[in-house]
Order: sequence, then structure tokens, then C-alpha cells
Amino acid sequence: MGKLSSILSVIVAVLVLISTSALFIVDEREQAILFQLGEVVDVKTSPGLYFKIPVAQNVRYFDSRILTLDTEEPERFITSEKKNVLVDFFVKWRIVDVRQYYISVRGDEALARTRLAQTVNSSMRDEFGNRTVHEVVSGERDRIMEIMRQKANVDAKKIGVEVVDVRLKRVDLPQEVSESVYRRMEAERKRVANELRSTGAAEAEKIRADADRQREVILAEAYREAQTIMGEGDGQAAAIYAGTFEKSPEFYTFYRSLEAYKKSFKDKQDMLVLEPSSEFFKYLNNPENSSANKK
Amino acid sequence: MGLNDPQWGKRKGNSSPPDLDDVLRNISKRINELFGRKGGGDDGPEGESPKKHSSGNIIVIIVLLSIVWAASGLYIVDEGQRGVVLRFGKHVDTTQAGLNWHIPYPIERVENVNVSQVRTIEIGYRNNVRSKVLKESLMLTDDENIIDIQFAVQYILNNPENFLFNNREPDNAVLQIAETAIREVIGKSKMDFVLYEGREAVAARATEIMQTILDRYRIGITISRVTMQNAQPPEQVQAAFDDAVKAGQDRERQRNEGQAYANDVIPRARGAAARLLEEAGGYQQRVISSAEGDVSRFEKIFVEYSKAPVVTRDRLYLDMMQQVLSNTSKILIDQKSGSNLLYLPLDKLMQTDGVASKPSVTTTPTQIAPEVPDVSTRTRESFRTREREVR
Repeated sequence: MGKLSSILSVIVAVLVLISTSALFIVDEREQAILFQLGEVVDVKTSPGLYFKIPVAQNVRYFDSRILTLDTEEPERFITSEKKNVLVDFFVKWRIVDVRQYYISVRGDEALARTRLAQTVNSSMRDEFGNRTVHEVVSGERDRIMEIMRQKANVDAKKIGVEVVDVRLKRVDLPQEVSESVYRRMEAERKRVANELRSTGAAEAEKIRADADRQREVILAEAYREAQTIMGEGDGQAAAIYAGTFEKSPEFYTFYRSLEAYKKSFKDKQDMLVLEPSSEFFKYLNNPENSSANKK
Repeated sequence: MGLNDPQWGKRKGNSSPPDLDDVLRNISKRINELFGRKGGGDDGPEGESPKKHSSGNIIVIIVLLSIVWAASGLYIVDEGQRGVVLRFGKHVDTTQAGLNWHIPYPIERVENVNVSQVRTIEIGYRNNVRSKVLKESLMLTDDENIIDIQFAVQYILNNPENFLFNNREPDNAVLQIAETAIREVIGKSKMDFVLYEGREAVAARATEIMQTILDRYRIGITISRVTMQNAQPPEQVQAAFDDAVKAGQDRERQRNEGQAYANDVIPRARGAAARLLEEAGGYQQRVISSAEGDVSRFEKIFVEYSKAPVVTRDRLYLDMMQQVLSNTSKILIDQKSGSNLLYLPLDKLMQTDGVASKPSVTTTPTQIAPEVPDVSTRTRESFRTREREVR
């Protein structure tokens, strides 16, 4: 019983030892190189359980996922119009040829990143140097990225790496230039504001003037209308008068004159200086005189 | 990891209790699978055919141990998660929510991935729109202006395997991609478009670009929404922009004031016009009516006059004279005309009445016919002409 259990434990220990030193697992996320005394003997690119000779062979794992090279601080580049722009970008890359990768950068990721960064940087300098700020920011942004991806790939192949993507993040103006941009924006807004205000005033004035014009027109037309109406009244009245007074103009003037006298001399303020020679006073001077006193 | 003991009682949600038959079938299937493949693992205790050995308790121990080992392969996948099963590092299965079993460590491992949770990243700010991250949020536009923009990206996983296996730090990648995409869109848009009418369009375009890039990386992520939290001019020029907006409102106000003036003036003018017309109409009626009145009066008297002209005429004349003379001040002077010796202090005479003087009227009615005395305004002239005649 004791013997058996000890045998069992030995068996288990041996099994464990074998499984740790003679077997190795390659995960979905990685690739592995099998070394024999420092020399590459095999490359495992697909995941699974593999066998190796204990002690003589050892394994190194490499990440097979897409990796990122992200610049921490934006760098200055000069455009074709000799302006500075601050640019940061990221590069997505992947180890495709593990053997090559191991040989060229000793499997050191930092080293690979440095090399990629240098490549991308230098090609970026070329691209930016041939383009204006505007082209870099908007017009040819995607073209630049595509060109850089292709250029970077040429060099990346040498170290067993594929550049999946190079993408610009920020393409900004340096602080001192930004200030002038702000000033320009401000000036532009001021212009817009002034324009709005003055057009507002102009429009208001137009509306007012139009209202005034309408008023004038309305009043003038009303005046014309009113005068016409009044004239009609006058005309009709005249016709009425004439129609009747025609019958006896002589009597009409007599009668009308009497009316007028009455209306004209009707209060104490009106001073009449009279001679008693008039018809009216004939009896006043000469009560006997039946007929008028003829001169 | 599958080593944690399954907690039988703690099932989230109200999913049906685990179907033990299923689980057992799963177990046997897995074992058969494993040994169907050229017996790769020779460390399974099932491989030993139990010998007729006296020490049964060792067998018992071994059996117990293997039961415990097998039980360690039970694991629970929560609702909204997937379990990604790796056998010796190779992906073999993706399990749904519920109780599952995998061949225990070290043969298979399970990684749980949350697929239903909506993840959010924030660009240009953290946690609160007011806490800005300027180096993320300031961008150049197509017309070389700078704007300050904050937005949030929500995304979900659409493929747990891709999410796990194809990218290192996939969540971080979303952040980088979001930044590059939004800057590309903003860089191709005019400032006013982004600030005012184009927010939706910008977000939609950014979503499109992001999705394209994500698909290229086979990252297993779907962008569900990009929301513009804020798009505004930078702090430094905010005042000028506000003023421009205010100017727009001022313009509106001025227009309205003009309109108000118009709305005041025109109806008034219409009113005045209406009054003019009404008055004219009134005048017309009045004139006609009084004409008719005058005429009918005259006709009445004329009828009588025709019957007895002389008498009527005299009577009318005398009536008139009486009325006139009784109502006015008068001076009767009996003298031959042409004598200039007479001086009449007319003003004095007027003052006795205590009224302001009005120019007087002189008449020299010599004929029987009533001569029309001149109306006041013409008296002086007539006076002079008469004087001239006299000389």
C-alpha cells in the first residue's frame, strides 16, 4: 500500500515533468519558434499542443495579434509652404515571418517598434514636405496614409513584419500658429456679426420706409377719392341750384342778395354810414312823398 | 479559468435549471473526441484499465480524484457572455450562457467574454463633458479653423473569438481608431457645417470610417453609436462666436421692430383714409341736401312772388333792411356827397360799443334798387375808387 502509493506518486511526478519539459502549447494569440541549441529548427504558426526534446530544445513565443505603435508625443513636420505641423499617428503591425523577425530584431518588440517608427517618420517627412497644410489636413489625408503604409511595408518585410495600417491622428498647428488662427477666426466672426447687424438695420429701415410710402399712397389715394366725392356733391348741388334758378334769374339774385345782406350785417360791430337819400329813407325825409324822391 | 468551483445554487437570471443530461452527454462527447484523436493526452486517469488489485482504496482515491478533477471542468457562462474554449491553446468551441463543462485544466481553458455589454469610450473629455482633454478635442477643419469637439463612441462585440485573438488591447484600438476617424471627417468638413447643421452627418461619416477600419483589423467589434456631445469653437474665440449669434438675433429684432412700425403706421393710414372718404361722403350729402333745401325754399317763395311781384319784392326788401339796420350800428349822415369836411372818428364810435373794430361799410344807396353794399374786405378799395370818381 505504501509502496504502491509511492510508485504512483513517482509516476505522477514523472508525468508532470514530461508534460512540462517535453510538451508545449501554442495559444491562438501567438506563434512559437523551436530552438535547438540556439538554432531555429521549427516555427509553429498554428495553435495547439506540440512536442519537443526536453533540455536540448527550447521555445520562444511571439505575439501573433495586431500590435500597435502609438507615438506618445506629436512630432513636428514641415509642409511644402514651410509651415510646422504637429502630427501624431499610430501604426498597426503584425509579425508575419517569425523567423525573419527573430533574426533581424532578435525578437525584441521595442527594437521592431523603433525601426518601424523611423521608417514611417522618414516617409512622413517626404510626404508632408510635398504638400500644403490644407492638403495634409483634408485633401490628401487618406492618400498619405495609404502611401505610408505601402512604404513602411517595404521595409517591414525585411524584419518579418506586415504593416496593417498607418493612420494619422492629430495634424495640428503648433501653439503659436494656433493663436493666429484664433485671431483670424475672431476677426471673421466680427465681420459676420457686423454684417448681420448692419443688414438688420438696413432691412428694418427698408421695412419702415416701405410702410411710410404705403401710408403716403393710401392717404393720397384717399384724398383723391374724397375730393372726387366732394366735387360730385358740389356738381350735383350746382345742378340743382341752376335747374331751379334758371326759371327767374332776376328774382333769384334779388332774393339771394337780400339773404346775403342779412347774413353780412348782423351785429353791432358792423358800422353802417348811411345817407338818408336812399329809397329806404324816402318817408323819413318826406312823409308826404308817396312816390320816390327823384333827384 | 475552470479551476474555480462551480456554484450550483447561484444562477443569474431565471434561466431553466441546468440540464444534467446535456452536461453528461457533453462530457462523454468531449472524452470520446479527445481519445478519438490519436490519444494525444496520456495523462488522463481514464486511460488506466483498473487491475484486479487488492488495494481497492487506492482505486477509490484515484476515482475520487478523477471525479474532483472532472468536476473542475464545470463552469457557468453568465447571460450576455460567451465562453471561448481553448484546447491546448487552440480555439475549439464558443459556448452560450448557462452551465457548461470543459475538459479540465490543463487540457482545455475557458475565457469568458461579455458580448452584450455596450462599451463606451470618450474622446475629448473624461466622465463629464466639462472636464475636457484639449489635446484630444481641438481639431483643424477644412477651412483651417480650429474647433473643440467632444464625442462618445458606443460599441459592442460581434465576434468574441476575433476580439480575443486578433488584436492586442482591442479596447485601446477603438480609442485610437475613433480619434483618427473623427479627425479625418472634421478635416474634410467646413467649420460652420460641423458646428451647426452637420453634426448628424459628421457622426454618421465617422461611424462609417471607424467600422471600415475595425473590419480591416478583424477586431470583432461593431460600432453601435457615435454621439457628438459637444461641438463648439475653442474657448479663446467663444466670445466672438456668441456675439455673432447675438448679432443674428439683433438682426431679427431690428426686422421685427421695423415690422412693428409698419404694422402701426399702415393701419393708421388706412383709418385716416377711411375718415377722409367718410367725411367727403358726408360733405357730398350735406351739399346736395342743402342745395335741395335752398331750392325748395326758393321755389315756394317764387310761386308767391309770381302772383304779386311788386308787393312781394318791396316787402322782402323792407324786411331785410329792417333786420339789418336793427342789428347793426349805423350813422345817418345827411350831406351832399363830395364834401370832405366831414370827419368821422369811426374808431371812437366803434369803441363805444366796447368791441374790437371791424372795418366799416359805407353805402351810398341812391337808387331804389337795393345796391349791394360791399363786403368788408373790399370796402377800402371801393372807397378809393369812389373817391376817385368823385374828384
